[in-house]
Amino acid sequence: MAETLQNLYLGFATALTPMNFFYAFMGCLIGTLVGVLPGVGPLAGISLLLPTTFGLNPTSALILLAGIYYGAMYGGSTTSILMRIPGEAASVMTCIDGYALAQKGRAGPALAISAIGSYIAGTLSVIGLMFMAPTLAKFALGFGPPEYFSLLILGLLVLGYMTGGSMIKNLAMIVLGLLLGMIGIDHFTGYFRFSYGIVALGDGIGVVPVAVGLFGIAEILATAGQPVRPEVLKPRLKDLIPSRQEFKDSIAPIGRGTVLGFLIGIIPGSAHIISTFISYAVERRVSKHPERFGKGAIEGVAGPESANNAASCGALVPMLALGVPTGPIPAVLLAALMVHGINPGPLLIKDSPIIFWGLIASMYVGNLILLLLNLPLVGLFVNFLRIPYKILYPTILMLCIVGVYAVNTSLVDVGIMAIMGLLGYILRKFDFETAPIVLGVVLAQTIEMSLRQALAMSAGSYVIFVQRPISIIFLSGALVMVILAIIPLIRKGMDWRDRLAKG
Amino acid sequence: MTIDRVSGIALLILSLFIAWEDRKLPLGTHSVPGPGYLPLILASFLALLAIILIIRGRSSLPLRSLSWVEGRHATAIFVCCLLATFFLESLGYRITIFLILVFLFGVMERLKWWLTLSLSFGLSFGSFWLFDNLLKVILPRGGLGF
Amino acid sequence: MEIRKIMAVVATICFFALTPGIGKAQEAYPTRPIQVIVPFPPGGVADLVARPLAASLEKILKQPVVVVNKSGAGGAVGMQAAAVSKPDGYTLMVALSSISVMPVVDELFGRPKTYKMEDFAPIALLTADPTIFVVRNEAPWKTVADFVADAKKRPNEIKYSSSGVYGTMHVAMEMFAHAAGIKLRHIPTAGGGPALTALLGGHVDTSSLGPNVAISHIKAGTLRVLACWGAKRLAAFPDIPTLMELGYKDVEFYIWSGFFAPAATPSGVIRILRGAVKEAVKSPEFKSAMEKMDTPISYLDADEFKVFWEKDAQRLARAVRNIGKVQ
Repeated sequence: MAETLQNLYLGFATALTPMNFFYAFMGCLIGTLVGVLPGVGPLAGISLLLPTTFGLNPTSALILLAGIYYGAMYGGSTTSILMRIPGEAASVMTCIDGYALAQKGRAGPALAISAIGSYIAGTLSVIGLMFMAPTLAKFALGFGPPEYFSLLILGLLVLGYMTGGSMIKNLAMIVLGLLLGMIGIDHFTGYFRFSYGIVALGDGIGVVPVAVGLFGIAEILATAGQPVRPEVLKPRLKDLIPSRQEFKDSIAPIGRGTVLGFLIGIIPGSAHIISTFISYAVERRVSKHPERFGKGAIEGVAGPESANNAASCGALVPMLALGVPTGPIPAVLLAALMVHGINPGPLLIKDSPIIFWGLIASMYVGNLILLLLNLPLVGLFVNFLRIPYKILYPTILMLCIVGVYAVNTSLVDVGIMAIMGLLGYILRKFDFETAPIVLGVVLAQTIEMSLRQALAMSAGSYVIFVQRPISIIFLSGALVMVILAIIPLIRKGMDWRDRLAKG
Repeated sequence: MTIDRVSGIALLILSLFIAWEDRKLPLGTHSVPGPGYLPLILASFLALLAIILIIRGRSSLPLRSLSWVEGRHATAIFVCCLLATFFLESLGYRITIFLILVFLFGVMERLKWWLTLSLSFGLSFGSFWLFDNLLKVILPRGGLGF
Repeated sequence: MEIRKIMAVVATICFFALTPGIGKAQEAYPTRPIQVIVPFPPGGVADLVARPLAASLEKILKQPVVVVNKSGAGGAVGMQAAAVSKPDGYTLMVALSSISVMPVVDELFGRPKTYKMEDFAPIALLTADPTIFVVRNEAPWKTVADFVADAKKRPNEIKYSSSGVYGTMHVAMEMFAHAAGIKLRHIPTAGGGPALTALLGGHVDTSSLGPNVAISHIKAGTLRVLACWGAKRLAAFPDIPTLMELGYKDVEFYIWSGFFAPAATPSGVIRILRGAVKEAVKSPEFKSAMEKMDTPISYLDADEFKVFWEKDAQRLARAVRNIGKVQ
């Protein structure tokens, strides 16, 4: 403990030098900007700034790039709440209740709670990272294909509770998403699936065009031609601050979201978006009034926003403790270190303590900077809503197009976004929820690959799923959920038989 | 004809199409699933769900009750997206976006001509500057250099 | 009425946009920014070589040289884009050895090739890392001979991870397995990172990694090197034998990175580029950048590179055909 505090002191001494503080600030600023712009996410921002960091020392470079990373998680919720457009893929869940809150005039509180939740989640996760990084990283390595598969099956089942509406329709959307996610090259055998010769589809349909299309473009398609738009009144200061009830309702979701997000973020290969989906589903499940979800429940914003901030911190755990990239963004951060001659690996914490502790301290500072940046901007952002919609929507369209294009310099992505937009518009008309599609697309490749990898590891035997402890835990969890879902049906069935017997 | 029945039929057709396209891919076995394995399982499941939707579809809203009042705008916006997809690289970002914005502001929303032109110009060139200079994203420059 | 006016304006602009370069006389090269396509996501091997190179080239050519990532389909998306781009010297590419593999795979599957190797004119070889044969520290095998003996006793039991089917790690390992006459079980993953994670976590037994990825784990003692796929021993591991030394003929595999231009680029432009790259790899900034990443520079000018490329391509094509269609 004493040693940790000493190292932390060293870290703060590094992080609070004017130069590093400046880089942290720049990183947070750029991250927020990148998060607010639809489509362009932290990966784009970090890879674009990577060359400029070549001239800096490694600690400053890492502070800058990491700032962009978790900063984007703060910014992503802004457009989700104000315009129902995900600023980056992980903010999709915030679109649902966040936008509903904005329409009820509670955009300010939604933005504020989202910033506060992100701050708490970020800070608590850094504490977790600080104390438990090596242990957690070892644990994360134990996640192999069978564990993944079982976890994702459990995740899919949990999602049955995710949104209201007909279970059949939700399932259909998840299956549709899974099928869309299977377009592209099959990494196991090299076959091109459903790509019809378009090479750009080879890596599959990206989640960014799908998320921006299904939510952003579909929203514009549905609202632009509406004859009457509800007037957004000038908000009073009172309306910007969350009410006491909203604060009270948010504390538990923030706590749960933090823990969930952090744990899921540690697992290599899991996307942040999974943590937000699971957080939303959990909040809905434990809430005493689940029917409020989808119509503006503050828990539906507090939970997912905290989860995705915690996940971005969790993703750094295996990267810093073991030099193992958990996803594309940590991979670029690792590359940034390699370019400076630092070889990230198990010895990073011991050999380069300044980098590790400097980064940790800078993350405390960065989260605080972001909170102070975002809260006052709430008032500014809410006024954004008062721009007449007929000027607003072409601007949004332009931002979506450029944002999606910028991710991979690919026109095919813009085309996918357009088609998904049309699909989302039609699905909404026909009373389907579109969020499960996004999750399906994200999970499809991982679920299939985990299944086939696990079977390849066990030479075709399905026993492997129940041989390994972590996998058993998840599968039992899945079984419990299925049983819990069936019990009410059985009870109804028994009532029916009783009634028949009596009368 | 209710909305659930229509969507059920559409999903059923989709799942049959996927199963048909899937025939080109090797299925593999249960212990060594091939590339065609999971898509076929998912397509069958989707077909099942679609059939349930159709059967239970009687109680949902009738198709006639759907309002398409925003349809004209929606079509215009969708066409703009498609135009962007096809012309962004050949015409260049700034010109394509400028044209799209002029169309949306001027024709669809009927703003005054000076407002249309200044907004379109400002937004298209402004966003180009933001991305090209500040964020260093390469946006296409098209035949005229724009 | 207004609509007709707008249509007229649009039509005029379209006309100008679609007619190729108005008034472009033959100018000295380069006069505009140059684009270097990297067909892989940022942070990967190609990217980390291309960026310092671009920075050095910029100083020599006195024009901005910008790296553009166009990833997808194992590199096919970016390579195809480079193959069909205008051969005026303003679109170039840094690619890895997988450039030779993909047309062969396309042939294997009987589908039209996304690009052909003849679509590219080689300018220079930049780096050539041989892959290394790595096992976990707890593994029982101390030498390659131990490993091969064990593999012969239990065919198809020892597992190895790769970055994807027909990827660099897969082809390298299969080349060795074929030469040694053993059968290993292949567990493909979604990329180099997950493949390394699978090995570290004990889910597979071995892997063929790029040296700079593995070096930190080897120094930390979690992983052990048994051999390398090069023609010569690696400077970082002077005690580790090459597979060719151990008797496995023609088992050479390099993750090399090369600089390419579309084949029809005028020869004057290519000459200028060759000279520029020759200078760039000697520049102190490029050298220090490569040193920091533990990536040795193996520069070969266009003619020697062409020979190297063809020989390597033949080896890779043979290995891929031996693998055949994975079922």
